[in-house]
Amino acid sequence: MTISPAGYDLGDRRLIFVLGKGGVGKSVVSSTLGMMWAARGQRVIIAEVANQHRLSEVFATHDAPPNVATELAPHLWGISIDVDRSTQEYLASQIKIRPLVDLLVRSRAFHTFAAAAPGLAELVTLGKIWELAVSLEGGHPVWDKVIVDCPATGHGIALLRTAGNVTQLAAHGPVRDQAHRIEEVVMHPSATGIVVVARPEELPVSEAIDAITELRRDNFPIAATVMNAHIEMRFSHEEAHALADIVAADRVTDAALHGARAAHRRQVRADGHLAHFTQATHLTPLILPDIGPGPITPARLAALAARCAAQVIR
Amino acid sequence: MNLPDLMARRVVVCCGAGGVGKTTMSAAIGCAAAHQGRRVAVVTIDPARRLAAALGISDLGDTPRQVDLGEIPHGGALWALQLDAKATFDRLIHRHAPDHAAAERILANRIYQHLSRAVAGSQEYMAVERLNELTEDPRFDLIILDTPPAQNALDFLDAPQRMADFIEGKALRMLLSPSAAHGHRGWRMLHAGSSTVFSILERVTGAQLLRDLGDFLQAFDGMYTGFATRAAAVRTLLHSHESAFVIVACPDDAPVREAVALIERLRTDRFPVAGAIMNRVHVTSSAQLDLGALRTAVMPICLGAPDDLIARINDQWIEDQARADSDHEAYVRLAHALGGHEILSVHELDDAPVDVHGLIGLANVLGAATDPPDGTHR
Repeated sequence: MTISPAGYDLGDRRLIFVLGKGGVGKSVVSSTLGMMWAARGQRVIIAEVANQHRLSEVFATHDAPPNVATELAPHLWGISIDVDRSTQEYLASQIKIRPLVDLLVRSRAFHTFAAAAPGLAELVTLGKIWELAVSLEGGHPVWDKVIVDCPATGHGIALLRTAGNVTQLAAHGPVRDQAHRIEEVVMHPSATGIVVVARPEELPVSEAIDAITELRRDNFPIAATVMNAHIEMRFSHEEAHALADIVAADRVTDAALHGARAAHRRQVRADGHLAHFTQATHLTPLILPDIGPGPITPARLAALAARCAAQVIR
Repeated sequence: MNLPDLMARRVVVCCGAGGVGKTTMSAAIGCAAAHQGRRVAVVTIDPARRLAAALGISDLGDTPRQVDLGEIPHGGALWALQLDAKATFDRLIHRHAPDHAAAERILANRIYQHLSRAVAGSQEYMAVERLNELTEDPRFDLIILDTPPAQNALDFLDAPQRMADFIEGKALRMLLSPSAAHGHRGWRMLHAGSSTVFSILERVTGAQLLRDLGDFLQAFDGMYTGFATRAAAVRTLLHSHESAFVIVACPDDAPVREAVALIERLRTDRFPVAGAIMNRVHVTSSAQLDLGALRTAVMPICLGAPDDLIARINDQWIEDQARADSDHEAYVRLAHALGGHEILSVHELDDAPVDVHGLIGLANVLGAATDPPDGTHR
């Protein structure tokens, strides 16, 4: 990870994994990064996993079939990775003899096996992501950026580890060979970058710090950290201090003064969590502001993307 | 939701989307129950050590640790532990293996080692198995289970059966040879690779991986009944009225949608839903601010023109109201899905409780909270 005075540099990494505790806004951060790069003319695809369809809700593309890239906005595409389809696609690519693939896919025994085999869902999901990242058309990459909206921290890290686990389990054979190729890409800092997301609260911050420690220990390439939903300064310390001394004549004014002081306390706490995060990880996060209540819309994401773009060189 | 009723059960399962405060609520319900004289064990499953942070125990592990709650009436007590899926799985193997050597053979198997450490699947399974173990422990009369942060928050309900099925190896037997699925003809046949489907699969996985899998499943031969019986026992317990499911949500779009889906799924499968907790609810007055009165109030502290400060206070006021309105809408959506059950509202706190003192405070809030008659506005 590099931060020059001009801002963040995520390099040319094509594969971006967005990781963090449940509820920190991984989907929002994934979409924000996607919109930022798309606005710079790059071809971007955001991959949702484990049956999530948040993007199609935000961009109102409800009829998007699973495992099919769907255009969300200019230069920006989305895909919701479906395990069953990815398994079939994977088998087709490996076996290459269509009738054999059909025989396998139609067999009930195979379905029972595939549903129960631990790690299979993660492996085909990661395989599909890898395929997006390495696919070429006319000698050029199909996608400039593949952004993965990961499951919550523990399961997200498990997804990243899948290829390595399979490489250890299978001594040889096509599964092993492919897992090894995936592992090489996922672990390579010029190909892949992990973006760890927190929000300025006690538990999300401590989970992000733990995740970073674990990722570093195992040499996973961390590209950036993000402090999402940061609370921006609206009242100075002096103002908050002075407001505490006022007695309002009516109840509503009093409540409003109380609200202003509470907002200031939230700012101060958020700054404390940010400082703790920065100090514990020695990383300076990208800051994305709290956008308040209500559904996420493309327009709100575009505003966030502009904020993000001001901090990111590439 | 009625907190005294909840605390009288044997098992309370807290479920909901990630990041809504499930762990904190589990711990708070635990505190409240301990204060009522219950002997409570709170199980957290998250790979991140969140409950440890909230309970002020830094080395929370697989063994229950008693939490210091200070003076407690009626002999109540609170323990907390962090699920160690691997350790629980190892104990399960020892429990069901015919002898020590058989257990050791499984523990040394490479497939087993990966399986028992895999977060997806085995974590959910072992959460339920740990629950099983703790209900047999005479120290505890109430177990509170915080659920794993899976994409599908109810994965853990299906996990025991799915894993037991896998270990039974019926699917692999079917792949191997449809006739072998019905009888226990052992795994030696695997090496012959008799069925077409199996041999196609082998082209992809390589022979060694499937052979290892066969060895692994062979080692489990005869243990399946024990696994299946246990999976069935815990399912029965979770379906009974000794158990209660509590849905935890916060008033944002995605967590409420997940909570609604959870409620539907629990109802369909006839699990006892006790109610819901709506966490981090913002409340504010809906009155419009009188800017003249505000100007008069802030005038004494303004050295220069107060307009800028007044505008910012008003912006904040409008923002807080929008937040409260949005929270109220979310509350109504959840209440609608819950039908007759109550929702406990917990107001946004200055900061999430990160110590025992904070948890006790939250427990008091839960005990006092009732449904606001007109939603979240007061």
